[in-house]
Amino acid sequence: MKLYERLMTIDRRIIYGILLGVVTLPLIFPSVVKVTPMSPVEKLFTAVDNTTNDKALILDCSYSPQIKAEVEPMAIAVLRHAFKTRKKILVLSLYVEMIGLATRAINQVVEEFNSNAQTYEDSLIYGRDYVFLGWQPPPIVPMLGMGESISNIYVVDYYGNQTDTLQMMERIRNYNDISILVALSGSRIPISWVAYAQNRYGLAVGVGCTAVSGADFYPYYQTGQFTGLMVGMKGAAEYEELVEANYGVKGRRVASEAMLSLTYAHLAIILFIVIGNIGFFLHRRRK
Amino acid sequence: MNISTDPWIWISSILSLAILSFLYKENPFFRAAEHIFLGVANGYLVTFYWHRILMPILFRPLFQQGQLLLIIPFTIGILYLTRFIPRISWLVRIPIAIYMGYWTGVLIPATIQAQIIKQVQGTVLTSANFQSWNAGAWGIVWSVIVFIGVLCTLSYFYFSREHKGVIGVTSRVGIVFVMIGFGAAFGYTVMARISLLIGKLQFLLGDWLGIIR
Repeated sequence: MKLYERLMTIDRRIIYGILLGVVTLPLIFPSVVKVTPMSPVEKLFTAVDNTTNDKALILDCSYSPQIKAEVEPMAIAVLRHAFKTRKKILVLSLYVEMIGLATRAINQVVEEFNSNAQTYEDSLIYGRDYVFLGWQPPPIVPMLGMGESISNIYVVDYYGNQTDTLQMMERIRNYNDISILVALSGSRIPISWVAYAQNRYGLAVGVGCTAVSGADFYPYYQTGQFTGLMVGMKGAAEYEELVEANYGVKGRRVASEAMLSLTYAHLAIILFIVIGNIGFFLHRRRK
Repeated sequence: MNISTDPWIWISSILSLAILSFLYKENPFFRAAEHIFLGVANGYLVTFYWHRILMPILFRPLFQQGQLLLIIPFTIGILYLTRFIPRISWLVRIPIAIYMGYWTGVLIPATIQAQIIKQVQGTVLTSANFQSWNAGAWGIVWSVIVFIGVLCTLSYFYFSREHKGVIGVTSRVGIVFVMIGFGAAFGYTVMARISLLIGKLQFLLGDWLGIIR
């Protein structure tokens, strides 16, 4: 068999095996990769940072288990940032299957902070510092309804408390009291937030999305409809970097740990594409 | 190495490996894991919808608290099930018509505003758009590229005239922009898929086997 024929007929299992090795080795033997935050992520970070004491931010954790690897690090990074800077935060999910992941992210970060807290004031207290609104179907109902009254839409929170009796909700009534909504999703939900909540109520929308959605979402960032944008695991790593660099928040940085594997995997795939093309052109020339 | 003793982590890991085994070839482990996933996901959704929507939002308020107005949405919803009774299956058109009417009314103005008007505004060559790139004088260059890209790509999808002359040139430029867009989308897709693999390996090597921290 000639070289170009071999190049054209490499068994896919060999490619999978190489890719597995390339991804696994940097995870087992990690080394530091410097992540440089890009402008879209910096803008989101600044927007969350600029939330004033009289306002809250909403974190929409609408990501499902299949995209957890990309989006969960974003949720954790945003929560760390918000809690470290003592921003009031409302968390919600627009779909039922995402509730569990949202709960997991909140619990993890709250536990991180509370395990280091010395006093009651330092601790993160449910109802005072954060509220988990849960899930209210269909998505358009909370998107539009929270513009009028949050506690009318979410009469009870995820844990069954009357929302309007929670301390934090005394001042947080509707979108006028929200500085920014950060939508974390692998679908077109962020565009729905723009279409309904931003168009009608002027709500600022920041986005964390999967890399697959990235190319579709950049036009909305360019027009200013998205205040900031985190794309894929790289975006999450950039946000993690900003949170640690600016506020010294320590904690496991899952996305940053993956950057070396991601880089090597990309190099391997580029190599495969080059080899495939060489094989193709050699084959065509022979014909 | 610090292997997990949590049975749920073991179940999750074994199912993950069963699904990944498809990369080698189709096998009974993969099929078993696939069926378990479908069953669990459907069971989860049905019970969640029952306990989180139907009971608290409809049945309890209607039948226990006497909120009689809920009979209207309840009846409309029930009409969906008439599809299974051939003699009165035409009644299913009522909820479908209501649903379509509602969503058309809600979607059209919002979509036009968010996805057409704002996007067209973002394409027009104005000083505000130049500055939105945060790239100084280069902002003009980027805006002009976007402007040309949009016009040329639109001309490529203009099929009422043969692509000759001016339209021939612009449509050829347009296809270059389309290809660049596909390339960007493909690159991002590769990144996404590799990220998911990394996430799974972090779970298997970390949470399960304890090889990585």
